[in-house]
Formats: sequence, C-alpha cells, structure tokens
Amino acid sequence: MNDPVLRVEDLTVRFGTKRGVAEVVNGISYELYPGETLAIVGESGSGKSVGVLALLGLLKQPPASVSGSIRYRDRELLSMSPKEWRGVRGRGMAMIFQDPMTSLNPVKTVGFQLTEPMEQHLGLSGKNARTRAIELLELVGIPAPESRLKSYPHQLSGGMRQRVMIAMGLSCDPDVLIADEATTALDVTTQAQIIELVGQLQERIGMAVIWITHDLGVVAGIADRVHVMYGGRFMEQAPVDGIYASPWHPYTRGLLGSIPMPGSDRPERLVTIPGIPPDPVAMPAGCPFAPRCPRADDSDCLRTVPTMTAMGDGHAAACHHPHEVDA
Amino acid sequence: MNVKPVSRARETLDALLANRLAVAGLMVLAVLVFVGIFGVRIAPYEINEINIAERLQPPSGTHWFGTDDLGRDVFSRVVVAARVSLQVGFIAVGFALFLGVPIGLVAGYYRGWIDAVLMRTMDVLFSFPAILLAIAILAVLGPGIGNAMIAIGLVYTPIFARITRGSVLVAAEEVYVRAARSLGARDGRIIFRHILPNVMAPIIVQTTLSLAFAILSEAALSFLGLGVQPPNPAWVRMLSDGRNFVSQAPWMGIFPGVAILVTVMAFNFVGDGLRDALDPKQKSVIESRGRSV
Repeated sequence: MNDPVLRVEDLTVRFGTKRGVAEVVNGISYELYPGETLAIVGESGSGKSVGVLALLGLLKQPPASVSGSIRYRDRELLSMSPKEWRGVRGRGMAMIFQDPMTSLNPVKTVGFQLTEPMEQHLGLSGKNARTRAIELLELVGIPAPESRLKSYPHQLSGGMRQRVMIAMGLSCDPDVLIADEATTALDVTTQAQIIELVGQLQERIGMAVIWITHDLGVVAGIADRVHVMYGGRFMEQAPVDGIYASPWHPYTRGLLGSIPMPGSDRPERLVTIPGIPPDPVAMPAGCPFAPRCPRADDSDCLRTVPTMTAMGDGHAAACHHPHEVDA
Repeated sequence: MNVKPVSRARETLDALLANRLAVAGLMVLAVLVFVGIFGVRIAPYEINEINIAERLQPPSGTHWFGTDDLGRDVFSRVVVAARVSLQVGFIAVGFALFLGVPIGLVAGYYRGWIDAVLMRTMDVLFSFPAILLAIAILAVLGPGIGNAMIAIGLVYTPIFARITRGSVLVAAEEVYVRAARSLGARDGRIIFRHILPNVMAPIIVQTTLSLAFAILSEAALSFLGLGVQPPNPAWVRMLSDGRNFVSQAPWMGIFPGVAILVTVMAFNFVGDGLRDALDPKQKSVIESRGRSV
C-alpha cells in the first residue's frame, strides 16, 4: 500500500477541569490510507469525538492540551501555526457533524454556506463558486439544486441538511472526511441513504473516511478497519470481518452482545455491560475496562494498562485475558 | 416540492406588519422622518422671526399651534425641531452600536482576559447613572449638540456590549460555528458572517428602544442647557420656555411636549413589535405570564 494520508501517534488529549486533569484521549495511534474507511467505535464519553476534533485543531487550548503527533501528508499538524492549520481544515480534512439540525447556520442560505469554503481555499467566487455548488448538490443527490441554493436550512429535512453538510465537506476535495456520528440523528432509512452516499462518493473521489460512531451495526457495512475505543484508549483494532467473526476483547464482545441480530443463534435477550464508563478525572490504574470486565482478575488488570498486542491478520487487542481465537 | 424560499427578514416583516401598534409606530416614524427631512419647507413661518404684536396667540387658522412669548410660530418651530431630535437619536445610538457591538463580539468570542478587560470597562461606565455620566462627559467636552450625541452614545455603549456579548456566548458554542471552523473559516469571518447575523435580533430590538431613550436623554440634557443651544429650536427647550407661561399660553409647552411623547412612543411600539416578531418564544412567555397573573 502507498503512504498513509494521516498518521496519528500517541495522541493524548487532556482537559484541565476544576476537579483535576481529565484524560480524555490516552495515547491512541493509527494510520489512515487513501480511499480507506476507518471506523472508530465507542460509547458516549469514550473520547472518540474529542480524538477527531484534535485532528482538526478544533479544541480550545486551554483548557485542552493535545500532545503526541498528527502527521497529515508528512506534515506535522501539531507544530503548525494556526494559519497553516486553518489551511488544512476544509482543504485537506473536512468534518461532518452529528446533528444536521444545528450544524448549518440558520440565518444563511445553503448557497452562502456552500460557497464559503470554496472562496476561502480555492479562491472561487461569484459564478464559478455557484456552478461548483450546484455540481456538489447534484453529487450528494439533492433534487433541483439551483433553487436549493436560495433555501434556508429550516426549509430542508434532516436528511437533506446532512447531504448539504456533506456537500460542504466535499467542496474543496479533501483527502480525509471525518464523519462524527453523522447518521445518529437521522431516521433509519435516511441513515442508510447517507451511508450509501458517502460510500459512493468515496469511490468516486478516492478520499479516506474516518467514521465515528457508537453503533457497531452501522460499521459492518462500510468500514475497512474498526478501532474499538474505551476510556480514551483503543481496546481492539481489526479488519471489519475480524471484529465480527472473532472479537478478542471482552469489551468488543459486550458491545456486539448488545446489538440485536436477527437470525443469529444467540439467546433472545440482549446483553448489557454492567457499570458505567470510567471517570476521566480518575482513570483506573490498570485497564480502563477492568472494573466492568467479566474476565478481569486482581493481578494484572487492575494494576497495569495492557498494551496493544498484534495477533495476526492486522488484528490486535489490548487485553491481559483476551478471548481465545475460537470464532 | 418547490417551496419558494422565504427569508427570515421577510418573515419578520410579515410578523411586524401584523402588529397594529407597531404599524402605527412605523407610520408615525415615517411622518417624522419626512418632517425631519423637509421641515424647513413645511414650516409656514421663519422659525426665528420675532413678531411682538402677535405674541402669545392661541392656536388658530393662521398659527396652528399658536405663538410663543416672542411671537414666533410654534407649529413651525415644532416641525423644524423634529430633525434635531431624530438626528440626536440616530447618531447617538449609531455611535453606541458601532462601539458596543464590536466590543461585545470580541469579548464574547475570545473570552479570557480580553473579555474581562472589555466588560469590566463597560461595567464601570454602566455603574454611573446615565444622565450623570452624560453630564460628566459634557462637562469635559463642553456643551453643544454634537458633544451631547457623543455623550449619549457613550452612555448607551455598555448596553449594546452586554447584549451582544450575552448572545455571542450562546452562538459561539453552536455546532454551525464549529462546522465553519472545521472548514477553515477565519475568526473574523466566523464572528462577522456567522455569529453576528445570529445575534442581530436582540441588537435590533435594543436599537429601536434605545432611540426612544436617547431622544429623552437629549431632551434632559437640553433642558439643563447642555444640548441644543438657543436660538435653535428643540422640543424640550420650547417646553422649558413654555414653563413660564403655563397659565397664559399652555400651547407653548403642550405641542412640543406632545411631539416628544409621540416620537418616543412610536419608537417603543416599533421596538416592542420587533421584539415579538423576532422572537416568538419570548412573546409566548409574556402572554402566558399575563394569563397566569
């Protein structure tokens, strides 16, 4: 494979709070190759959103402090000036957000919001920007794109708005599109449409996608690789088939057990993971999942943080007592 | 499928026009602006023309609002003075807007020490009673209508700074601001093209209401001899001159007084109407409160 478009090493994000330092993202590393889809899966508060906001430099520092290394096309983002980094946002990496109801400016037309990044990054204005905006709206499947340019966000449905957001994200041909829970606020049918749309666009444009979600079900159809995140750390990473076929980490098993799967031979009752995610201000000394883990013992799990150990086939898990490779 | 896009401005205008008091206020304001512009031509008499023979005449066909103690035509003077009052209102409030709104935007967007410095300065200005502060500023700058506008503008600056900052604090946390930033927008662009349009509603309302207060403030300052200087006509000067003739010639004071009242009320009606039109939520709150009491 060619060079990764994005290489994240030991990315750590801490927040200074009144109660102490919150370790929200704790030394995560990954690589993203052109055209690939990486899914980062985790429950609320696992640090997955903060992790990608850090990629774009969207965390206010202070209170946040970001360390480690983020290399985009061999340029280190963390040592860039604010101005240089701004040039990457939208142009190199773009992001779409969870709630399309609030991620568009209510008092600006679709056309204004769509052409704004083009003006900024590509120097397009007036008619050229308009033409490109119409192309983009067509690309994301919005009917009557010309008349839509004059629409205000409140005149569009949720699915339409998310399509507009995607069009905005794509306006300057980014290499990386980050979708932060981009389908969570949509109904299931629209969700499927948006997922399919992003897949199609990815094929056509060749960009890489980071898909942030709490929903392992969404991931199955779209991702090439899956990283499972918990307590600010990656618990397990694997090609998408590996995660479903043979989850090694007890947390991944727990997540999978909580999804209803029609036609499977598992018992009817869905499994829940007891307990709540760890407090980022008072992280457990050992494995962050240990307090909730059915396989945790007193020796290693509570004392030392397990390291990510490769187990073949690009599959790796950070666990002292992984499930056997039994499928 | 093809719904005609309706802009927010259009919706607001429709809502405003549905409000009878606001429409009445708008009509009065339209007349006032017309009179303000063409006042000298409308006035049937030269405003400073002294005619002792016809002094203290009651209202009649020749002198609609009567004449004052020097025989000057009250109607002409009321009409010509409209310009001064409106000018003072608009310029003073404009001054407050152009100073206060950027201060609020910067303070609310950047927070931190810059916010603390700016807003504490505003607090200091705000802690003085308005009229006292204006008098103090005029004591430094010297009396006169131009300085009165600056003084009134400075007195109203903290109100705009506070209102703007409060709204910016909310707007800056919106996802669309983050989305704009994620697409590489600059701070200046975010502040002026994304945040400012979203915080305009309370600023517009405050502007209209402040116009009324600015006119009253100017009246108070002129009454104290710090604003409009004689012999230029100003409503409140005419009112204060009329004080000495209340029993003999009440029209000397009544007509300029009514002019002030009507102007201030018109601005208030329009301001209230705008507030309701721009913020339907607030309106319903007021209504439900009214019912429960």
